[in-house]
Amino acid sequence: MEEKAIIVIQDLLKRYKNTAKNALDSLNLKVKQGDIYGLLGPNGAGKTSTISMLCGLLPPDSGEIIINGTNLRSKPDKVKAMIGVVPQEIALFEDLTAKENLMFFGRMHGLKKDEINRRGNDLLEKFSLTEKSNKRVKTFSGGMKRRLNLMVGIIHGPEILFLDEPSVGIDVQSKNVIIEYLKEINRSGTTIIYTSHLMEEAEKFCTEISIIDFGREITKGKPSELLENNKDCENLEDVFLKLTGRNVRE
Amino acid sequence: MNKLKAVIVKEILILSRDRAGMAMLFVMPVFLVLVMTLLQDSTFKQLDEKQLPVLIINHDADTFGLKILEGLKSSKFFKITEVENIDKQDFVQKIEKGEYLIGIIINEDATRRIRQSIQLNIQQQFPEEVGQLFEYEDNASGQARVEIIFDPILKSSYKQSILGSLKHFSAMVEARLMFEIYSGLFKDLLSIELKPTSSFDDIVNFDEKYASSGTNKIIPNSVQHNVPAWTIFAMFFIVIPLASNIIKERHSGVSARLLTIAGSKLISNLGKGMTYFVVGFIQAILMLFIGLFILPLFGLPSLQIGGNGLALLVVTIAVVMAATTYGIAIGNIATTEQQSSIFGSISVVILAAIGGVWVPSFMMSDLMLNLSKISPLNWGLNAYYDIFLRNSGLIDLLPNIALLLGFSFVCLFVSFLYSKRGLN
Ligand SMILES: Nc1ncnc2c1ncn2[C@@H]1O[C@H](COP(=O)(O)OP(=O)(O)O)[C@@H](O)[C@H]1O
Ligand SMILES: [Mg+2]
Repeated sequence: MEEKAIIVIQDLLKRYKNTAKNALDSLNLKVKQGDIYGLLGPNGAGKTSTISMLCGLLPPDSGEIIINGTNLRSKPDKVKAMIGVVPQEIALFEDLTAKENLMFFGRMHGLKKDEINRRGNDLLEKFSLTEKSNKRVKTFSGGMKRRLNLMVGIIHGPEILFLDEPSVGIDVQSKNVIIEYLKEINRSGTTIIYTSHLMEEAEKFCTEISIIDFGREITKGKPSELLENNKDCENLEDVFLKLTGRNVRE
Repeated sequence: MNKLKAVIVKEILILSRDRAGMAMLFVMPVFLVLVMTLLQDSTFKQLDEKQLPVLIINHDADTFGLKILEGLKSSKFFKITEVENIDKQDFVQKIEKGEYLIGIIINEDATRRIRQSIQLNIQQQFPEEVGQLFEYEDNASGQARVEIIFDPILKSSYKQSILGSLKHFSAMVEARLMFEIYSGLFKDLLSIELKPTSSFDDIVNFDEKYASSGTNKIIPNSVQHNVPAWTIFAMFFIVIPLASNIIKERHSGVSARLLTIAGSKLISNLGKGMTYFVVGFIQAILMLFIGLFILPLFGLPSLQIGGNGLALLVVTIAVVMAATTYGIAIGNIATTEQQSSIFGSISVVILAAIGGVWVPSFMMSDLMLNLSKISPLNWGLNAYYDIFLRNSGLIDLLPNIALLLGFSFVCLFVSFLYSKRGLN
């Protein structure tokens, strides 16, 4: 029996105002429950656009998004209650401390104070920010901000987690902590959709991969399957370059 | 409720950590109101003292004398001192010595003389066979006389001013007397009883349009002007921290992040608006406090806030609404924080200048006075003047309140339109 698809994207189409080409061009995706799904592609491929539409930030021109059986278009709030989002940019209050940020966003998710403190302290510990927890975010290093950015997106323990390039601009240590933590919450049931242009990371981390370019899917499958289908390639990066070309992008 | 509380706590934390913003909202206006009130105190006093000292002897205890006295007294431009039983020589001396700039003597029987002249004129209108219509009094023949003695230093515009007023009042009295005489005639000849016109004074209006310097603008003192003026100015400076707060949230992606959390964006906007609204209110209270209790310590008069607490509350709410929503609009329209700070501060300063915050509107030329009416700060300022100086009630304040609320509505609408930008 096929595993349940938790996210279904059908013929997603998007063209931004005053642009000549479609940012997303009839994109189809299926994410199964429990997947760590890698949405990979070069800059400008349409990864962020896809994530934005998945979390209800950006209305598609056409196409459907169904999350956990609910159509995003008709019941956006029901979908939003199931998801967590870690955006590509550092979406934090620079003038608040780490704890205050966690408290604010936890509250916005409707959590109780005790719960936020408990989960927050846990996360701060895991991501080695306990010592800095009462310092303002603007004094943080890039890596610390990115870790907090992640923590804020998962403070409410979402069923489905979207991450847009979570490992950009951080050192190897931070990256490892993040990846390990994501694997951990995945084991306990969280479905993860993650974008990246780093193939090496994706190869190790993802259970399913879809490579997109120019808003279209180029190939998909498990990392092992992709390597199987492209015998001439040594690793996923080679596959990626073979399929998306070597031209420099945006 | 918890969400709203979280938003408000967050906004307060952020604002309280913004030292420049706090200084702008609370220190700057306090400083400005102190300095400007002290600076302008003497200027306003001079304006006040533009009242010409006038000495009057009224020998006519009848309509003419009384009306003229009443009229002059009700004018803000003359300071009337009435004397009785004074030697004419002493009287003239008081003018010569400069104690008073103008002396006015209303002679005996002025009213009766006017009446008699009118009666004679009427008599001439009738054919001779009608006979004598009125009984004339011997001692009332000749013209009614008003003597005016000017201090030679008096500028001719002031002379024109007092002469204009006198002629105006006297014309009014003549008309009134003529009316009375005709009424009497109707009764005697035709037995038609004319009802007394209670509205007679309205027909001949005590309109204070004098031959020269006069207008009917109210003149506040330095405190009455500067306290509300800088309060409004300070409240509008909310625009800068508020707009930059909104832009920061948009640029950082916090705003987008909130959109991915069900139902949090609306609460966040609401909480932000409420926080800044309360800040504006606190500013108003602080400034009132300074007007009432701190300015007197500097030898200035204490602020007279009039008796209408409700009106004061409503006007303050309207002004804070206008300021807050203006900030929200700029926050949504501007694309960078720099843009919003520059546009925000410049626009507030210009609107303040136009609106009569720096130079009060009663000192403005007619052109500027008309221009001042486009400034929301002017609407607020006029509303405060109305409360402080005219003791107006809510009904009188309605136009200005409506303008302020209308402005708020437009700002919110524009903000809404712009907030959709980027989500395409
Ligand atoms: N707000 C926008 N307005 C116009 N074009 C945009 C906007 N955002 C993205 N695009 C364009 O859409 C395409 C996809 O962008 P994006 O989804 O950000 O790609 P990725 O995240 O994969 O780098 C790119 O060509 C990009 O230039
Ligand atoms: Mg992107």
